[in-house]
Amino acid sequence: MSDPTTPTGGRASPATAQASAGTSDEFLLNVGPQHPATHGVLRVVVTMDGEVVKDLQPHLGYVHRGLEKLFENRTYEQIIPFTDRTDYLSAIANNWAYVMAVEKLLGMEVPKKVEYIRVLMAELNRINSHLLWLAAYGLDMGAFTPFLYAFRDREEINTMIEEASGGRLTTNYFRIGGFIHDLPPAFFPRLKKFLGRFGRAVDELDTLLVENAIFVARTRGVGIISRERAISYGMSGPCLRASDAPLDLRREAPYSIYGSLEFEIPAGRNGDTWDRSWVRIEEMRQSLRILRQAMDGFPEGEHRVRAPRNIEPPAGEVYSAVEGPRGEVGFYVVSDGTRKPYRVKMRKPSFSNFSALPEIMRGLKIADLVAVMGSLDLVVPEIDR
Amino acid sequence: MQAPLAPRGIALVLSGLASLGKGLWITFSAMFRKSITVSYPEKRVVLPLRFRGRLVMPIDPDKGDNRCTACMRCVKVCPNHSIDIDKASGPDGKPLSKPASYRYNLGTCIFCNLCVETCPFFAIVMSDEHELATADPSRLVIDLAAEKYRLQGKKGSWWQKKFRGTGEEA
Amino acid sequence: METFLYKLFYDTGALIDGWHAAANAAGAARGWPPLVVDILFQLGWAVAAALFLALNALFIIWFERKVAAKMQLRRGPNRVGPFGLLQTLADTGKLLIKEDIIPTAADRPVFRAAPFVVLAATVLLFVVLPFGKGLIPADLNIGVVYFLAISGISVIGILSGGWASNNKYSLMGGMRSAAQIVSYEVPGVLVVLSVAMLAGSLKMGDIVRAQPSYGYALLQPVGFILFLIASNAEINRGPFDLPEADSELVSGFVTEYSAMRFAFFFLAEYTNLFLAGAFATTLFLGGWRGPLLPPVVWFLLKSYIVVFVLIWIRWTFPRLRVDHLMEFSWKVLLPLALLNLLVTAVLVKVL
Repeated sequence: MSDPTTPTGGRASPATAQASAGTSDEFLLNVGPQHPATHGVLRVVVTMDGEVVKDLQPHLGYVHRGLEKLFENRTYEQIIPFTDRTDYLSAIANNWAYVMAVEKLLGMEVPKKVEYIRVLMAELNRINSHLLWLAAYGLDMGAFTPFLYAFRDREEINTMIEEASGGRLTTNYFRIGGFIHDLPPAFFPRLKKFLGRFGRAVDELDTLLVENAIFVARTRGVGIISRERAISYGMSGPCLRASDAPLDLRREAPYSIYGSLEFEIPAGRNGDTWDRSWVRIEEMRQSLRILRQAMDGFPEGEHRVRAPRNIEPPAGEVYSAVEGPRGEVGFYVVSDGTRKPYRVKMRKPSFSNFSALPEIMRGLKIADLVAVMGSLDLVVPEIDR
Repeated sequence: MQAPLAPRGIALVLSGLASLGKGLWITFSAMFRKSITVSYPEKRVVLPLRFRGRLVMPIDPDKGDNRCTACMRCVKVCPNHSIDIDKASGPDGKPLSKPASYRYNLGTCIFCNLCVETCPFFAIVMSDEHELATADPSRLVIDLAAEKYRLQGKKGSWWQKKFRGTGEEA
Repeated sequence: METFLYKLFYDTGALIDGWHAAANAAGAARGWPPLVVDILFQLGWAVAAALFLALNALFIIWFERKVAAKMQLRRGPNRVGPFGLLQTLADTGKLLIKEDIIPTAADRPVFRAAPFVVLAATVLLFVVLPFGKGLIPADLNIGVVYFLAISGISVIGILSGGWASNNKYSLMGGMRSAAQIVSYEVPGVLVVLSVAMLAGSLKMGDIVRAQPSYGYALLQPVGFILFLIASNAEINRGPFDLPEADSELVSGFVTEYSAMRFAFFFLAEYTNLFLAGAFATTLFLGGWRGPLLPPVVWFLLKSYIVVFVLIWIRWTFPRLRVDHLMEFSWKVLLPLALLNLLVTAVLVKVL
């Protein structure tokens, strides 16, 4: 249907395409690589019939950096900073999935304290990512104020993470066997203060944006994907849970200490845009619960297992996944016994979530494209790697 | 837990109007809160101790020189090959455990901290410098050995405690 | 209390009438027809209006930015001038030195004229604005009709701008904006009609004087809110700014405009914001009436309070989708406006 080797996918430019399009009203709209609403460098070519979308062709690859090939030439510990950058909003989840895979290959058990720190960091990261999603989505919808409220809360989380790791966005905190530094002494007082405040902040953001009548009118019943179709596309995370499928890796295949933590899995009813938004707000509340439990049950112990200087896992392959803010983040690591992996394949949730976009958008009006793309919470570097 | 059912009829209208009113109240009450702006450049944010700014090779106050022995571990571990070391040689041509030049490419550094973690001699530290923009690309390759950086303040004392073994991880 | 200073602040209209009569006498003494004196006076009003427009734009843009910043926990402009008051001057200076780009295939005369048509509609509305007691450039006895008619002229400018840009998306944006303005004028007209019915006159001055001291807002609460919503939509602001939104697909009719032409569109928009506040004040809040302070001060104070409410609404709510926008106007506002008119008519007859 389209030729991926030419810039326009084998199609003629929009001007001539209009002349040759089937119906007289059909034309191509290029939501180009540079667009404020695509959350990254993403190109979507929409075939429209008047205001209605007939088909949607995504053109990926603008942020392709050849990471998977790069990993074949880096040692196991050198890969960790790069995993931060695959999805910069869920750096911790990516770190964790990769580190868990290598630890499985090495057969390494980490101390309880390490697991607790990992859960604390991952849930803070989840809240961080959802706050940024809310901020950007509000901006797309025309609500400028939730952006600043969300960033004020993000600032607190970023400070906590920065004091622990040294970086706010690309943290590079996890190591094979634990962490390079223990949590700083200021961490728990800050976390306590944050937990006391944030519940009200979530309610405020919820009231200001997600419960707002105009937002509800724009998002309820828009962009529906059914449970069966969502599962068949391999969707995961809030996008899947909104379609009445309460599937969460932390429950289905518990890793770390999630098996012993109490939290609920929010699920939507209709699989529309509003449900996806609601699920993310609820997940922030549930993350608060998990953070409290992790803080209360925090054990003593070592913050790392002394790993050998040269990490050379025995030959083998392993797939390990964590529940990131966008869905299932998985790393498939094939080792050939040397210091550099033979192959690292990344399973990224945005890629699968995005693949459902053409089906969701077919039949909808073009004005809904922004709402639907924003609700899928795409991070383009994750799609392109 | 499942999403709440949508209200219908008159409840929809009333809840809609209520949500508009609550939203207006939130923004109105926000006007009376303190602003969260930090007026840069007059005021600056206090950076945490582990902040990963530009790489520096500080002068050890006890030795009067840097602590690097040109063991090349940082060169090997850097994921981006941003470090390049020329070992110094003595007057008889035999290599010394000192760098003649330590070229650090600020343009390709990703500030990952792996070099600092792998250095067994605590020779390099990521400083607090983050205002690094320059219009001249040639200034991005820095010879850290020739720079003779003096690490001051909290970071300086933290670094000294680390290699003296007197401080705990802070 | 007939001192000059008192009359200057509290009864400027009488002062100006006095000058006009004196000028007429002087003109008659010199054999000039009275028309010449009238034209000179109207020129004076025009200069005053232009001056006010410029100063108002300066202030209102700063006001919006500061209020928006405070609501967003920020500081707003605070570097150029005391409290950032001269920020607008700096921005205008920047726009003046920008390159003026006209697309090759654009319709040049229409492209050049469009910003001025929109601005003309805005400026012409100053004619019937009662700034104070008698302080009105021309208290036409069809003041209200004039107001409603002139506010429709901006549609011509917007359509011209969208068309002349020779850009598919500008045209769509322009048409959407025009459709929005025209749709929201209908409930607006009906609400203003209810007010005129209450006041018994179409003259702006009479409407202000006929209001009780607390204004018509309490007598016509539904009408007041409808008028605020309708004006908000007419000035393409707030939750109704789809035609000029930058994160929507169609960037709107101003896409191809750069530098000063763009500045004129936005000067028109911010002046319209003030006018929305001013007319809401005149029709519903008692205009320039109020104790103690000079009438002009009351007028500006009340206008800026309404402007604050409009700014508040803009920075709180997300945008309405275009079909919701139209539905809201025709299916919600119009029936409410008709109902309001009916109830007003009945009560005016009965009471």
